[in-house]
Amino acid sequence: MNPALQIKNLVFAYNDRPVLDGVSLSVEKGEMVGVLGPNGSGKTTLLKIFSAVLTGGGEAKLNGRNIQDYSRRELSRLFAAVPQESRVHFPFTVAEIVLMGRASRHGPFGLEGKRDLIAARDSMEATETLSLADRYLHELSGGEKQRVMIARALAQEAEILLLDEPAAFLDLKHQVRVFELMRRLNRERGLTIVAALHDLNLAALFFPRLALLGGGKIVRDGTATDVLTEETIREVYGVGVRIHHDPVDGRLQVFIRPEIAFAKSLG
Amino acid sequence: MNVLNRRKMIEVNGILFLLLVVTVAACALIGPVRIDLYRALQNIFSADPNAEILFRARLPRVLLGIAIGGGMAACGVVLQAMLGNPLACPQMLGVSGGASLGGILGLIFFPHWLVPIGGSLIGEISWVPLAAFVGALVSMFLVYRFSLFHGRLHPYHLLLSGVIFNSFVAALIMFLNSIVDFYQAQGLLFWLMGSLSTRAYPTVGFIFAYILLGFFWLWAKGLPLNLITLGEEAAMQLGVEVASVQRQIFIASSLMIGAMVSVSGMIGFVGLMIPHVMRLIVGSDHRLLLPASFLAGGIFLAWADTLARVLLAPAELPVGIVTAFFGGPFFLFLLYREGGKKLAL
Amino acid sequence: MLFALGLGDRLVGVTTYCDYPAEAKKISKVGDFMNPSLEAVMAKKPDLVIGVTGATDPVKAREMERVGLKVVLVSVSNFAEVLAAIRSIAGRSGSRDAGEKLAGRIGAEVEAVKKRVAPAPRRRVLLVVGFHPLIAVGGKNFIDELITLAGGENIAGSAAQPWLNLPDEYVVAKAPEVIIESGMGSEREKSAKRWSDLKSVPAVREGRIYSYPTDKILRPGPRFGEALSELARLIHPECFAEAGGGNKKERSGCERPKP
Repeated sequence: MNPALQIKNLVFAYNDRPVLDGVSLSVEKGEMVGVLGPNGSGKTTLLKIFSAVLTGGGEAKLNGRNIQDYSRRELSRLFAAVPQESRVHFPFTVAEIVLMGRASRHGPFGLEGKRDLIAARDSMEATETLSLADRYLHELSGGEKQRVMIARALAQEAEILLLDEPAAFLDLKHQVRVFELMRRLNRERGLTIVAALHDLNLAALFFPRLALLGGGKIVRDGTATDVLTEETIREVYGVGVRIHHDPVDGRLQVFIRPEIAFAKSLG
Repeated sequence: MNVLNRRKMIEVNGILFLLLVVTVAACALIGPVRIDLYRALQNIFSADPNAEILFRARLPRVLLGIAIGGGMAACGVVLQAMLGNPLACPQMLGVSGGASLGGILGLIFFPHWLVPIGGSLIGEISWVPLAAFVGALVSMFLVYRFSLFHGRLHPYHLLLSGVIFNSFVAALIMFLNSIVDFYQAQGLLFWLMGSLSTRAYPTVGFIFAYILLGFFWLWAKGLPLNLITLGEEAAMQLGVEVASVQRQIFIASSLMIGAMVSVSGMIGFVGLMIPHVMRLIVGSDHRLLLPASFLAGGIFLAWADTLARVLLAPAELPVGIVTAFFGGPFFLFLLYREGGKKLAL
Repeated sequence: MLFALGLGDRLVGVTTYCDYPAEAKKISKVGDFMNPSLEAVMAKKPDLVIGVTGATDPVKAREMERVGLKVVLVSVSNFAEVLAAIRSIAGRSGSRDAGEKLAGRIGAEVEAVKKRVAPAPRRRVLLVVGFHPLIAVGGKNFIDELITLAGGENIAGSAAQPWLNLPDEYVVAKAPEVIIESGMGSEREKSAKRWSDLKSVPAVREGRIYSYPTDKILRPGPRFGEALSELARLIHPECFAEAGGGNKKERSGCERPKP
């Protein structure tokens, strides 16, 4: 089987500060994986290595080939990344930003064509940002900007979607909507999705597979039930919780219980 | 959805090109001295003052103004995008400082050396622009080395080293200015302030071709530049080889700026202001912003030079003063009117 | 000026620009033209400090007066003032006679030149002091006066500035009959080549482009008369062609054409 993404013993350090210390993960095509872990555990770093922004030691392969062997152009047609936050120095409209997702399909002096406009329109509809098309990005709220970035990623029509805390600035309604969108894309279009997440409950609700990063390694990898146990969460996050399974559908929810004794957190 | 399409490209650039042609004609006809156009056209090849004024004294300058105005504006656009800084301009790269220093040294030592070009076939040019260009190359090399980290040019370092290098060179130039004799100092000052005064068609032709080449080369980077304004990481993720594009842009714009300063001294303000003005009018998409700024820059500088010749006749004002004096208030006015909604900061 | 007055041996300090006559170079320097060093001047304990208005920093001059030095600033922006300056300096340094003699001599030189060029028509002159860009002598300038006295008409004389950057079209329009490139570094072959494409200009057509590599005419002072005579020779060479004898009839080339 040729996994879409495969990393073995990945190591990475920022200026002598080690972040990833032997991470191994294999993601099949069409999977939807949530990467969990406290701040600084390396979630963002991992995603950056996937999209070739950073290079780590160890093996990192995409569709069986080393990520380093691809040109950036090829990569941008295979991956689409949604950053945690974005700052734009010059005034661009939402439509212009979304269309930039189509850049890898054009040569120098290329202008967008019908195909590109359709892709952009579709992705803006999916993210409910079509009404914002001619507004300037810097006029929008944090949540609206985030949805525009997701639209841009969708416009790339890539097989793999990498998202770095996509719900970070969204209100509850839009948080749920975004995850529902991801689930829909995963089911209907077969998109492979890897997302860094900080909300354990939303992760449990929407992601069939979770990987927990702690101490520079993947501590747990499996379903929500496998990964989110009271001891594990206490070890990695240093917070006491109680796990509850919904009596009707068995879905897992995490209740934060600060009064339970704190344990030393890893890393 | 209001986005860039072929029609907009053709319309905007078409209008600007038309304005450019009108500018060339108008600026060649306007000056502190009145000429008889009919006589001038009749006597193109004979020794007639009207013809000589139109074709030997004015036209070369107007063409040079267009080339340099366009080149400065285009470089301003790409530098603002690459450095992610709306205040970036061609003068910020150490190149212009190096070129000024080279030119100053050329003017102080052997200001009258002439260098034959094309084996004396085409003619001779003063060595001062060549000395300036050598200065430009040296400073380009130095700034590049100081900004290279892990094989990548860091915009932050580029900006910083450029600014520091320029300050250092400015101090050096002031020192040199203080130790040369009085009349030489006057001459140096005039050279520094910039002038489009030229009668040499070979030089103008060469610079025009050189700048056009550089411009087309930069224009091809229009789409990557759009992406780079989203941030280096985002650009990488969207398919841009950021390190390579940055390097190429630095070299191309440095070579262009070096040549421009070598030929006409430091003409500031065009490279800073025109990109912003055009951004307010045509938007931030560099595929349109670049050619539009190039044309607008040429138009602007040609008119500025005409004003420079006319305002304090018979004296000629340094063109850099005219650009700042008239460009500044116009830009402020535009900012006041449009800036509210269109500025991202 | 001081050397011409015979006061050279009483000179204890000069600025870095002073290099004529050659003896001046040997005298110790107290700083530069506009910015003399106060300590250096004081160290020399001079009885009299001489500066030039418009050039010497007036603040420095006042400081010198405040520390007890006697300072006199002379103005030399035209011929009359040069003569006045000579007399004034002579008076202050107790050599009034030398001053009168010098002023008289220079005055005579000037008169002689004026007389020589009087019969000739005024020639339009362009006097260039800088290139890249072209800097010409303007109005309100003692050099402009020199040109006028030498029987010429400065094409940029209507300008308010003493020096100006002149656009080429103006030169063509004013059609100077004589072009003089002065100042350090101007050379004969380069001068002619520089203008060769503007054939409608009389000076270019008739080959009347001269290079005058010294800065004699650029400094107002006792060499005024010499400078004037040399300048006049360039502007009206026919008035100085001594065909032996100095007979009036022989100098016919110099005359204004009869109406």
